[in-house]
Amino acid sequence: MLEFRFPDIGEGITEGVILKWFVEVGQEVKEGDSLFLVETDKVNAEIPSPANGTILARFGEVGDTINVGDVVVQIGEAGAKAPRPQAEPVAEDNAAVVGALETSDHVLATSSEHEAAAQEPPRRKALATPVARRMAKELGVDINTLVGSGPGGRVMKEDILKAANGQKRPAPQASQAETAAPASPIQPPAPAPAGAQTSGGEERVALTTLGKTVARNMALSKREIPHAAVMDEIDVTELVNFRREAKVWAEREGVKLTYMPFIIKAAALVLQELPIFNASFSAETEEIVLKKYYNLGIAVDTPEGLLVPVIKNADQKGLLRLAREVQSLAEKARERTLSLQEIQGGTFTLTNYGAVGALSGVPVIKHPEAAILGIGAITKRPVVGEDDQIAIRHILPVTLSFDHRFIDGGSAGRFMRKLRAYLEQPVLLLLS
Amino acid sequence: MIQEYTAQLIRDYDALSGRMLQILDEYGVVKEPELMPALSDAEWLELYKTMVLTRAADDKALQLQRQGRMLTYAPNTGQEAAQVGPAAAMAKNDWLVPAFRELGAWLYRGVPLKTVYLYWYGNEYGSHFPEGVRVLPIAVPIGTQLHHAVGVAMASKIKGENDVTVAYIGDGGTSTGDFNEALNFAGVFNAPVVFIVQNNQYAISVPRTKQTIAKTIAQKAVAAGIPGMVVDGNDLFAMYAAVKEAIERARSGGGPTLIEAYTYRLGAHTTSDDPTKYREDSEVEAWKPRDPLGRMKAYLISKGLWSEEQDLALYEEYGAYALEVFRQVEAEGEPRVEDLFKYTYKEMPAHVREQYEEYLQYLEGKVD
Amino acid sequence: MALMNLITAINHTLDLALAQDERVVVFGEDVGVEGGVFRATVGLQKKYGEERVFDTPLAESAIVGTAVGMALNGLRPVAEIQFSGFVYPAFNQIISHVARMRNRTRGQRYLPMVIRMPHGGGIKALEHHSESLDTFFGHIPGLKVVVPSTPYDAKGLLLSAIRDDDPVIFLEPSKLYRAFRQEVPEEDYTIPIGKAKVVKPGSDLTVVSWGAYLHEALKAAELLQAEGIDAEVIDLRTISPLDRETILESVKKTGRFAVVHEAAKSFGPGAELVALVNEGAFLYLEAPPLRLAGFDITIPLPRGEHHYFMDAQRMAAGLRQVANF
Repeated sequence: MLEFRFPDIGEGITEGVILKWFVEVGQEVKEGDSLFLVETDKVNAEIPSPANGTILARFGEVGDTINVGDVVVQIGEAGAKAPRPQAEPVAEDNAAVVGALETSDHVLATSSEHEAAAQEPPRRKALATPVARRMAKELGVDINTLVGSGPGGRVMKEDILKAANGQKRPAPQASQAETAAPASPIQPPAPAPAGAQTSGGEERVALTTLGKTVARNMALSKREIPHAAVMDEIDVTELVNFRREAKVWAEREGVKLTYMPFIIKAAALVLQELPIFNASFSAETEEIVLKKYYNLGIAVDTPEGLLVPVIKNADQKGLLRLAREVQSLAEKARERTLSLQEIQGGTFTLTNYGAVGALSGVPVIKHPEAAILGIGAITKRPVVGEDDQIAIRHILPVTLSFDHRFIDGGSAGRFMRKLRAYLEQPVLLLLS
Repeated sequence: MIQEYTAQLIRDYDALSGRMLQILDEYGVVKEPELMPALSDAEWLELYKTMVLTRAADDKALQLQRQGRMLTYAPNTGQEAAQVGPAAAMAKNDWLVPAFRELGAWLYRGVPLKTVYLYWYGNEYGSHFPEGVRVLPIAVPIGTQLHHAVGVAMASKIKGENDVTVAYIGDGGTSTGDFNEALNFAGVFNAPVVFIVQNNQYAISVPRTKQTIAKTIAQKAVAAGIPGMVVDGNDLFAMYAAVKEAIERARSGGGPTLIEAYTYRLGAHTTSDDPTKYREDSEVEAWKPRDPLGRMKAYLISKGLWSEEQDLALYEEYGAYALEVFRQVEAEGEPRVEDLFKYTYKEMPAHVREQYEEYLQYLEGKVD
Repeated sequence: MALMNLITAINHTLDLALAQDERVVVFGEDVGVEGGVFRATVGLQKKYGEERVFDTPLAESAIVGTAVGMALNGLRPVAEIQFSGFVYPAFNQIISHVARMRNRTRGQRYLPMVIRMPHGGGIKALEHHSESLDTFFGHIPGLKVVVPSTPYDAKGLLLSAIRDDDPVIFLEPSKLYRAFRQEVPEEDYTIPIGKAKVVKPGSDLTVVSWGAYLHEALKAAELLQAEGIDAEVIDLRTISPLDRETILESVKKTGRFAVVHEAAKSFGPGAELVALVNEGAFLYLEAPPLRLAGFDITIPLPRGEHHYFMDAQRMAAGLRQVANF
C-alpha cells in the first residue's frame, strides 16, 4: 500500500487548495493518471498518480488546503485496509535550482556563544614521547603518576624504568603461599595473585605485564626458529676440585663463586672459535648476521617471570669479574632494578635449570639469537674409565638448542666437543 | 566591413543584416519555398516523430520528478526543433558537443533514452555512451565545452579526416570568457566547428536583454571574424537548412560558423526553479503558439501526412515507452561501490585501493 | 529574537549590512530579481534598488574581478558565486589579485570584499555542486576563509566578514540551508573570525569538524558517549586563520585527536590540523592523530554519494580507533 504525499513540485509552493478530484475511492488508476487539481499562489497543477492500483483512500475535500508532505491518497490492492496516515512536518520554500535540500522544522539549541564554557579541573597528564608511552604501557606503569626528569617536566625512559622496578608487587591472596626466598637464581614462580578468580573447578589467573612479554617472546621464538638440540654429559670432576679451592680466594674478595662464571668463560671461548653460534638469522635478506661482540645472557627466574640480564663483552672479563657480575645481575633481576642497558644486546644465552635440580632440559632460544646453552645439575655418578675401571665422577649434563635453519648437527657437535674440553680441563680457561 | 560568404543563407542572413531565417511560420505554412531543404516527406515525418519522442520523454521525466522518483531535471520544452534539426543535418561521424539541454539532439545522434535518464537519475553511466556514438558528456560548468569542441574539430583536421563538430551553448553561456576564447580560437585555426547558441531568452532568471546589450548574439561572431546568423529556433526547416549549410562549409575547409537559434524556454530552468518569480505568464502564453511541434504538426496534417489522432496516439505510445525505460533505470540505477573508486585513475593507486578495501570492510560490518 | 534557518539568517544579515553601510553592494547570477537560487538575497533588490543589489551576466571571473575594482574604489562588495563548483574561472582573479592587493601595494590599497558561495555536498545534485574547497582557499595567503554551521554563527560571522578589511571567502554549507532553525537575535552582534568553538566539552578525545559534518560529528559523539567515551567536539568555524589555541588546549587536555571533513583526504584540510597537533602537542599525544575524510576519488553523483559522505555511524567507527588506541 502506497501513501502518496502532496509533493514539492518545485515551484516554491508549500501548500495548495484542492480544486477538483479526478478519482474516487475504489477507482482503478494507472501510473500518470491525474489524481487531483491543486491551486497554488502561482499555478494550478494536476498531480499525477505515482503507481498503478486502486484508490483506497482520499484525504481532503474540494476547497481544503493541503500542505506539501500531507498524505492525500492511498493506493493499493483493491479491498486492502487503509490505516490512518502519519503527519509530516511542513516543508518550506525549497528553491534550489539543482539538488534536493533537506527541509526541516527541527530547532537547534540556542547558541551559547557568550556564555563561559564550564571548566573541568584538568586531569594530571604526563608529557612523554610515544616511545616512552609505549614502554610505560609494556612495563605496566601508569605514566600519569610519574614526575618527569626531562626538559619541561618530560617523563623520560629512565623515569619509567625506575618506577617499573620500584613498583610493589601486588599483595598475594591468602590461599597462595610464596615459595622459598630468593637464594638460588631460579625459583618456581608464584601464581600472580592480582586478578585471580575462582569459579567452580577453575581458577583464572591474570598475567603480569612481564608475564605477557615472556609469553609473547616464547611463542615468537618457537614460531620463527626451527629448534634442534644436542646433549652431552661433561665430566667436571676437575672443575669441582678447582672451584673448591678457588671459592676460598673468591670469598675473601667478597664474591660468591658458583660454577656459572666458569661455564660462561668456556662458552665465550667456544663462541669465538665457532662464531656461527654468536649470530642471528635474517629471514628477509636470507643472511646470517655474525656478532663480533660477546654479550652473554643469564636467564634469571623472578616471581613475575623470566628476565635475562646480559654480561657485556664476557670474552674480555676474568672469572672473578664474571662471578661478581653474575651475582649482582641476579640480585638486580630479583629486585627489579635492572636497567634497560642491562637487558639489551645479548648475543648468546645460558640457562641454569640445574639449580632447581633438573638434570636435563631442552631450552628455548632467545629470539633472535642463534642458540642457547642449558645447564643441568651436577651429580656424582659411576663412570667407566679408560682402563674399564668404574670411578665416581661429577657429571654435568648440558643441552645446546640451536637454530637449525643455518646450524647443523655437525657444528653443534663441534660446539659440544670444544665446551667439554674446557670444562673437563679448567686450567685451559686460565691459559686461553 | 561585412565579410563576403559564398553560400546563400549566410550571405542573405548574415548576423549584421538584422534578419532572422525562417522557412516555416508558426501556422505551419512554408514562407520561403526556395529555401526548403531537399528532404523527403517521409524523412520530415521521421524528424517530427523524433521531436514528439523528445517532448514525451521530457514530459514523463518531469512527471517522475514530481513523484520524487527522478532527481532535478532540466526540461527541453519548446526547443525541440533547435535540437533535432541540427542533429539531422550531421553526418554519421560528425561530433556532437552538448551543454546540458539538448535531449532531441542526443536521442537523434544515438544516445539511448535509458542513458539520458540514468544521467538525470544521478548515475555516472549516464555519460557512458554506446561504441561509435560521437557525443561528449554533459558539461556542467557553463561554456567550458566550447574549447573541447574546437579541440575535437582541430584534431579531425590534423588527422586528415573531414568530420565536423557541432557544439551547443545557451544565451547565458555567451557571457563567459570561454565563449569568446573558443570563437577566437576556432577562427584563428579555421576549425571545422558549428557553434549553436540556443537562445531561449533566459539564463535561469536573467533575461536575454540583461545578459548582453548586443542586438543579437550572432553578431558576436563578427568580433571573432567568423560568419554568424540568427535562425528561428522553433522552425525545423530553417534549423536544418542553416546548420546543413554551415556543416558543409566547415567540411569543405570553410571554417567555423555561429548559429543563434532564437527560441524560448517554455518550461523552468530545472524542476527546482520557479519561473513565475521572474517572468510573466502572459509572456509564456505568447510563445506557446510558436511551439515547434505545433507548427510541424500543422504542416504535416496540411500535406495529408498526419492526423490529430495519430499524433495523440504517438505521444501516448512514447510516454509509455519512456516510463518503461525509466522503470529499468530505477531497477538498475544504484552504482556498485567498486565503480566509485575504479574510475578516478586508469589504475587504482595504492592509497585509493586501501581506502576502498577499508570501506568494504566497514560495509561488511567488520569495524576495527 | 527570531527562529531562522541558515538561508533566512544570511538574508537577514545582508539586509542588516545593506541598511547600515551604504558602501555595501550585493551581486551575482540570479541574485537580484529572483533573490538567488537558494533565496539568500530575496527581497533585497526591492528594498535597496538595482544599483546596490543586481544580477550579473553569466561570468564568474568578471563577477570577482569587478568586485575587486569596486573594492578598490571605496565600496564593500559582497559577491555571490552560485555554487563553489563554479568558482574555478574566478580563481585567476582570487589568487592573482584578491589575495595580493594589500601586499602588492604595501597596505595602500586593500580589498574589503566578501565572496559567498554554497559549499559541500549531500544535496543530491549534478556534478560540480558538491565541492569542498577549504584547502584550495585556505592555502592562499591573504585570504580569510569562514564556514558557519548554524544560523546564529552565520549571522555573526557574515557581519564580521563584511566589516573585515581583508577579503573573506564565506562558504555556506548548502546541505544545512534549510535543515534546521535556531534563535537568532535581530540586533547587531559579531562572532570573531579565527575563533573556533567547543560545542561539546569532553575529556577523552578531541574531534574537530565544521560545516554539515559538524552536526554528524555531534551525533557520533553521542553514540560514543553511550559507550563511555567522552568526546570534545570543536566547530572550527574559520579555516584560515586557524584557531590553534583552542585546538591545542583541547588536545593537551584529552591526548587524542581526530579531524572529520568532507574534502578528500590527501592534501586536505585535515593534514594541516594533524601537523598542527603534532607540532604543538606531541608530548601530550596518547594515540596517533586521525583524519576521517572523503575518499581520494571524484565525488560520486547522487546515487553513489551516500558512500562518500559519512554518517554518524561511520564517523563513530573511526573515532573509536583513536579513543581505544
